[in-house]
Amino acid sequence: MEEFFQQLTNGLAVGGIYALIALGYTMVYGVMKLINFAHGDLFTIGAYLGLTLLVSMGLFDKIGPLPAVILLAIMVMILVAIIGAILERVAYRPLRQSPRLSAVVSALGASIFFQNAIMAIYSPKFLVYPHDILPKAAVNILGLDIPIMRIIMFSTSLVLMAALYFFIQKTKIGTAIRAAAIDQGAAKLMGINVDRVIMLVFCIGPALGGAAGLMVGLYYGQINFSMGWMFGLKAFTAAILGGIGNIPGAMVGGLLLGVIEALGAAYISIAWKDAIAFCVLILILIVRPTGLLGERVAEKV
Amino acid sequence: MKSTNILYLAFALLMASCPMFLNAYWTDVFNNVGLYTILALSLNVILGHAGLFHMGHAAFYAIGAYTTAILNTTFGIPVLWSMPLAGIMAGIFAMIVARPIIHLRGDYLLIVTIGIVEIVRIALINNVFDITGGANGIFGISRPTVFGYKISKPDQFFYLIWGFAAVTIFLFLRLEHSRFGRALMYIKEDEVAAGGSGINVPHHKLVAFIIGAVWAGMCGTIYASKMTIIAPESFSFAESVVLFTIVILGGAGSIPGVILGAFLLIGLPEVFRGLAEYRMLVFGAAMVLMMIFRNQGLLPPGPKNYDIASLLPAGGRK
Amino acid sequence: MKRKLCTLGFLTLTLMALTLGSAWAETIRIGLMCPLTGSWASEGQDMKQIVELLAAETNKAGGVNGNQVEIVVEDDGGDPRQAALAATRLTTKEISAVIGTYGSSVTEASQNIYAESGILQVATGSTAIRLSEKGLPLFFRTCPRDDEQGMVAAKALGDLGFSKIAILHDNTSYAKGLADEAKSLLEAEGKTIAFYDALTPGERDYNAILTKLKSAAPDVIFFTGYYPEAGMLLRQKMEMGWKVPMLGGDATNNPDLVKIAGNQASEGYMFLSPPVPADLDTPEAKAFIDAYKAAYGNAPGSVWAVLAGDAYRVIVEAIAQTKATSGEKLAAYMQKEMKDFSGLTGKISFNEKGDRVGDLYRVYKVDAAGAFVLQP
Repeated sequence: MEEFFQQLTNGLAVGGIYALIALGYTMVYGVMKLINFAHGDLFTIGAYLGLTLLVSMGLFDKIGPLPAVILLAIMVMILVAIIGAILERVAYRPLRQSPRLSAVVSALGASIFFQNAIMAIYSPKFLVYPHDILPKAAVNILGLDIPIMRIIMFSTSLVLMAALYFFIQKTKIGTAIRAAAIDQGAAKLMGINVDRVIMLVFCIGPALGGAAGLMVGLYYGQINFSMGWMFGLKAFTAAILGGIGNIPGAMVGGLLLGVIEALGAAYISIAWKDAIAFCVLILILIVRPTGLLGERVAEKV
Repeated sequence: MKSTNILYLAFALLMASCPMFLNAYWTDVFNNVGLYTILALSLNVILGHAGLFHMGHAAFYAIGAYTTAILNTTFGIPVLWSMPLAGIMAGIFAMIVARPIIHLRGDYLLIVTIGIVEIVRIALINNVFDITGGANGIFGISRPTVFGYKISKPDQFFYLIWGFAAVTIFLFLRLEHSRFGRALMYIKEDEVAAGGSGINVPHHKLVAFIIGAVWAGMCGTIYASKMTIIAPESFSFAESVVLFTIVILGGAGSIPGVILGAFLLIGLPEVFRGLAEYRMLVFGAAMVLMMIFRNQGLLPPGPKNYDIASLLPAGGRK
Repeated sequence: MKRKLCTLGFLTLTLMALTLGSAWAETIRIGLMCPLTGSWASEGQDMKQIVELLAAETNKAGGVNGNQVEIVVEDDGGDPRQAALAATRLTTKEISAVIGTYGSSVTEASQNIYAESGILQVATGSTAIRLSEKGLPLFFRTCPRDDEQGMVAAKALGDLGFSKIAILHDNTSYAKGLADEAKSLLEAEGKTIAFYDALTPGERDYNAILTKLKSAAPDVIFFTGYYPEAGMLLRQKMEMGWKVPMLGGDATNNPDLVKIAGNQASEGYMFLSPPVPADLDTPEAKAFIDAYKAAYGNAPGSVWAVLAGDAYRVIVEAIAQTKATSGEKLAAYMQKEMKDFSGLTGKISFNEKGDRVGDLYRVYKVDAAGAFVLQP
């Protein structure tokens, strides 16, 4: 029984990362009906930029761990947001009027480009984040040993997700995003600058993905140019699981997928873990394509 | 039309005489181009004619290759005899798998097919049913023999592959101009209208899938006997991406376009071997640029001209 | 007319001079097939660096039999299909021998092509047993086979007194091969295999697997995969507070292992490996390390790339001794007459199958400072 709870916590921690990345996918899909294949690579870019900034600026020696991490996170998020906006401008905006397939191929091309650019700039080897930045202690909750960093990671994910949810639901710009997601044409007629909204979506989504990349780099320590591929695909599964286009859905989907994976690994087989995740994806799409929390239906804005 | 026919004929004659003046390496490059041409043509039926977003084509290819490998190494069935069986296995797999997903909307279908190809790959690595040899793959597949003549050198394979390709092109041209082919194109243009005109849309889509799968499976046979070993890593999602790109960049739905796409995407990187590290970088950028500037592909299918007058009963217009 | 004859004569003489000139200074071309792109790009690039460095040294010292050495590099992308193309391309480039490659299924795709062209092949990072069981006379390898490492692993585990063993691999042909070998040997000795499963390489979070392992309560974990995963496993194992010892295969031998896991987590970790140049006291090994550091700034990372260096040295030695470049002559020399050749990884001799003979493997342990210490 103890193992079950331990695996549950494992799953939730990983699920938090999936959820953060899934948010990016779901926001872009909601507004543009586009699967941004390059999103996983934005996550990778976040991890790499974090390493470069960390090493070159020697922050931890100057201002201490906690402020340094926060500063690092802000810098990474801003940089990845800029890259996301550039990506949108170059690869997707010219294709707004084209058939959907063109945008998908363009996204794939962008993904291949990013991966190989990272490999060319940084080298194909695994790069490692410096150690001993983060506390390594473990707390004992209900008889389970949980490293304190996992709790921090999980809480950070929750905080970011809550902030996003608040932003989307309660602010004026958030409402504009929701409106554009429902009907771009009508939103334009209402005076909403849809181009601006889309650019904003492509800033926020990648920023969250970049933050997730930084967290993965800091916590797991090791980064590689192809790490975005698997994480991205799983995050996409999570977004679909929760209901693509639906922000709370992405959160729920991410956590749920993490738990399913952990329990699947524990009770079925580790080697088939990824296949289980894909089976979940296929089942959901066949049985309930709108996902657990359903696609966004018409609502009063 | 006439002049393009002469062009095609000249091209065909040039291809037929290739092995005589190319060295072994370039012949092998053309062999690869040939294999990808056949695969891309089979994907073209699904993606180009029927307009189904399919990114899992490597799965059908894998099943065909593994079927031949298993039949050959375990039961000693000669490779060419196993070709139809490989195709049938791939077709059955397509039938089982495509049935539940055929009604999905474009993007969702895309994602499901990605999931399928990954599951197939993982199953192959994990040695499902204990016959796939796991990550090592299967080795010792024998070469094809045609009436006792063993095909093992690149120039011998050249004729086998391109011969099969010629048959494929001929058959798919007939398919394109058949009633079934026209129905597929109608479905691609406007599914609802097609359904309204009495076409059984799910049935046609499923058949398109199966045809594409069968052909990919048979191509897998040739690949298996050419390499004599097959391993799961040759059938990954990346392969599907390459096939998908060939069809889209070449011109979805157009047979000459797809052939051109195969030549460019498989042949060109060989020309640029020296720049190995930047190959993929350029590839990715090229995909984006192509979509922006010419998203119908290099040689898109032209409008079809039908000679109406000859279809009307004698005596002119009614 | 006279002018034309003169020009013609002049051109002919130049042409003759050039051809004759090149006939005098023949270069010996050795091929190198390695993964410069793809998932094993870091291995391939290390291989290229080492072999090119050694070739430059050979040329500075006057070449082989008076001829300069040229390395012809082709990328196999870590993929069998590309490897077949790379191999075919190399056969058109007049090479005497080829070094490569890394990855058993990739090497296998190229074997027949080289064999049919009569080119000697020395594989460097392909440990699948069947590669040398096909009766190919021109195929050799400087790396050991999975069965040898399996035997050493089983012996080491037995010597260390472990009886309940968890085996973890990553489903690649190398890791699974080693895991299977070790498993059958251990079971034959009556040890309990508490756990046998594979993880997915490239993932970051192995807590689920470690939790499952923990509940199987083994005495030791034998991990046969690669160093990135080994590093992550060590680190996460420590974070869980689990102190079970861990033994790894030779693919975990890489300085980055300690970087990834951290000194604290890697202390006490043991692995099997051919001796790295730093632990050999032969003059060649020392000179090699110094030269590598001078050229590239740090010690060579992967022992597989160093085995490529050994493949190069073996080929050059064979050419120098036989004064020939034909595949059969070189192969005959290597099989029959090359005994205890001083390589970068120890003494090299080959048996009739082309496998490297001799006790290659040693047990290494990581100490508190993160250094790899050779165990007696």
